[in-house]
Amino acid sequence: MTNLPSKTIDKAQYIVCVVLVVVGAFLIYDALSLEAGFAKVDPVGPKIFPIAIGSILIVLAVVLAIAIPRGSIGEADAGEDVDPNTPGDWRTVGLLVGLFVAVIVLVNPLGWVIAGTLLFGGAATILGNRHYIRNIVIGAALAVASFYAFYSGLGIPLPAGILDGIL
Amino acid sequence: MDNLNWLLQGFEQAATPTNLMYAVIGVLLGTAVGVLPGIGPAMTVALLLPVTYNVSPSAAFIMFAGIFYGGMYGGSTTSILLNTPGESSSVITAIEGNKMAKAGRAAQALATAAIGSFVAGAIGTALLAAFAPAISRFAVTLGAPSYLAIMLFALVAVTAVLGASKLRGAISLFLGLAIGIVGIDFLTGQPRATFGLPQLSDGIDIVVIAVAIFAVGEALWVAAHLRRRPSDVIPVGRPWMGRDDWRRSWKPWLRGTAFGFPFGALPAGGAELPTFLSYITEKRLAKRSGHDAEFGKGAIEGVAGPEAANNASAAGTLVPMLSLGLPTNATAAVMLTAFVSYGIQPGPTLFEKEPLLIWTLIASLFIGNLMLLVLNLPLAPLWAKLLRTPRPYLYAGILFFATLGALAVNVQALDLALLLVFGLLGLMMRRFGLPVLPLIIGVILGPRIERQLRQALQLGGGDWGSLFHEPVAIVVYVLMAILLLTPLVLRLMHRSEETLLVVEDDTDQKEKAAKA
Amino acid sequence: MTIVVGYSADPYGRAALEHGIAEAKLRGTNLLVINSSSGEAYVDSHFAQRGEVHDIEERLANCGVEFELTQPVGVDTAEELLKAMDRPEAELLVIGVRHRSPVGKLLLGSVSQQLLLECPKPVLAVKPDEL
Repeated sequence: MTNLPSKTIDKAQYIVCVVLVVVGAFLIYDALSLEAGFAKVDPVGPKIFPIAIGSILIVLAVVLAIAIPRGSIGEADAGEDVDPNTPGDWRTVGLLVGLFVAVIVLVNPLGWVIAGTLLFGGAATILGNRHYIRNIVIGAALAVASFYAFYSGLGIPLPAGILDGIL
Repeated sequence: MDNLNWLLQGFEQAATPTNLMYAVIGVLLGTAVGVLPGIGPAMTVALLLPVTYNVSPSAAFIMFAGIFYGGMYGGSTTSILLNTPGESSSVITAIEGNKMAKAGRAAQALATAAIGSFVAGAIGTALLAAFAPAISRFAVTLGAPSYLAIMLFALVAVTAVLGASKLRGAISLFLGLAIGIVGIDFLTGQPRATFGLPQLSDGIDIVVIAVAIFAVGEALWVAAHLRRRPSDVIPVGRPWMGRDDWRRSWKPWLRGTAFGFPFGALPAGGAELPTFLSYITEKRLAKRSGHDAEFGKGAIEGVAGPEAANNASAAGTLVPMLSLGLPTNATAAVMLTAFVSYGIQPGPTLFEKEPLLIWTLIASLFIGNLMLLVLNLPLAPLWAKLLRTPRPYLYAGILFFATLGALAVNVQALDLALLLVFGLLGLMMRRFGLPVLPLIIGVILGPRIERQLRQALQLGGGDWGSLFHEPVAIVVYVLMAILLLTPLVLRLMHRSEETLLVVEDDTDQKEKAAKA
Repeated sequence: MTIVVGYSADPYGRAALEHGIAEAKLRGTNLLVINSSSGEAYVDSHFAQRGEVHDIEERLANCGVEFELTQPVGVDTAEELLKAMDRPEAELLVIGVRHRSPVGKLLLGSVSQQLLLECPKPVLAVKPDEL
């Protein structure tokens, strides 16, 4: 008795198709609003590349959409640290993204020191390390050290936020 | 020879205390990240890119080169002690190396890996010093049409050869090209795909993209899939080798170097293929010396050859990067973005315009290589301790430094938003098996290709035929066509590329069956 | 009736195991040996590897005590032990303790302190003989 290999259809790949179409369409739309160049010496002009790339992206999206139900699977990146067979822990990813958004919003008003502490401490805790006090302490140390290092060592002033007078 | 003169000057520069310090930092960092699985030299260089804004170019590149070579060294330590490769190029080392370690020969495995890496690195760097300037001098004589052809070839090679799925390689590539479009068109001055944001008129900062794709994307992916089994670590003292081990190792070192260097220099060659080839060659050759039975149980040749191969390929990668400005692997691509951020134009003119920088870099590679040998032999047990860091800290650290870096570029929150967006792109690519290298190369080479094409046409008076007027251009286009068509032809003949390699192992298995 | 032993691959864990065996013989109960790891680091020196697991099983088999050895991964050690103690048949927890300064406890955490304070049933805290 021969066993037929089961074909797993990875429907989530349609997300890639959607992304490709969106990017491709955007490029084409944006390029159409451009004026043509000096056609004699620049026969290519500024439009052709974006339009070509955009069109090919859409074509690739179609090709992928056809290949997906045929069982085409992209091998998920099995890095040395990753076990791709387990279903993804998207909750953790979502929490990290949310944390990131919070940092983006807070970095200017509250400054790097606070935002950076929040980032490290939050990320370490979300990733599974329970000792959140320890995480925040380490985060604060890193944030303060990097703040001064970048300022005195590299001359880059990171946002100081509400701690402006103190630091 | 003029080059020798330059090399000596390079050594002079590389040996200054500041530069030596950067070399030490580079090799230590490189080994550390090589040891840690999941973090690699490409990500580390990307994370350090913002630091380069205020440091001299030679210091920065010395550090990056140290990280690059160091990564190869570190990866083998983890492979041998943990059976988990620290770097993808160390996968083969784990096969024999870990078996040797389990049999109590970890010290010898580490020693042959370290010394082999040193030998390969030294020879490879010497070849680099010999070939790169010559290639560069030749490349400078090429006109825009030929250079365009070469860039297109690199693009096609990376996309078509690397990875199992050409469709996905193409998807990555075109996404990269799309990202490259963002910015002001250089000939007509009109903004393209900038969303009306003036900050994007210079395009999306390549540093942000590199950090987002390599660091944030990786961290998010790992967050989704963290594997939680602590591995077996074999305690080991200082590496050393007996006379017999030396005897069995030196030829594999040389053969490994011979495999690794050319593959590293070819676009999409990479380090995985030559290490694999080195392994099967050593296995085949071991039959003559009667050691082949040890393969699979801990044969030292199986560590010596592949380790030399992967270091030689690292040196090889620098050849097209320095002489042509073409990146053939992820770390080289990230290093190129460092050139760009310094305002240095990578390409064949690099040797002419910045000779001191390049030769200092090459000299520093020699020094760094030596440092790695000296530091790693005694420090191997220490690196093993590094593996005790809890992963939440590692990846939180990566996110922290990624954010820090992106913020430092222009000190604007927009860059962080871009970091997040492209980090999610990086996550998506890892989830759906889209290779990362074509994307980065698309971002770097896309605008350059467009520029070359339009300039070539300008020079040729708008005549498309002028693109084919140079013999080199024609040859390259023919090669490209061959590269693209070969898989189709093979498929028509009912064979795939893999079977060409597997055929060898079949004869092997038949022999074994006959013996049994 | 069961005695729970919190094991780690170091002298403290081994001391706990020995005292656990002694108690089990005294009370005529069986042993539940738990050697857990958070799995957070690549290398966890507290986690018993195959060779050591084999040795432990041999030792337990030789001393004539009924035992069960589990190695849960990806869990918090203290919580895992407390969960085990929640079982109705668990009557005693044996752990090896080390000295931690107050600062050390703050920065590095103390599994033993958490267990001593939170476990509702008796806890036997032992130290290795050499100290």
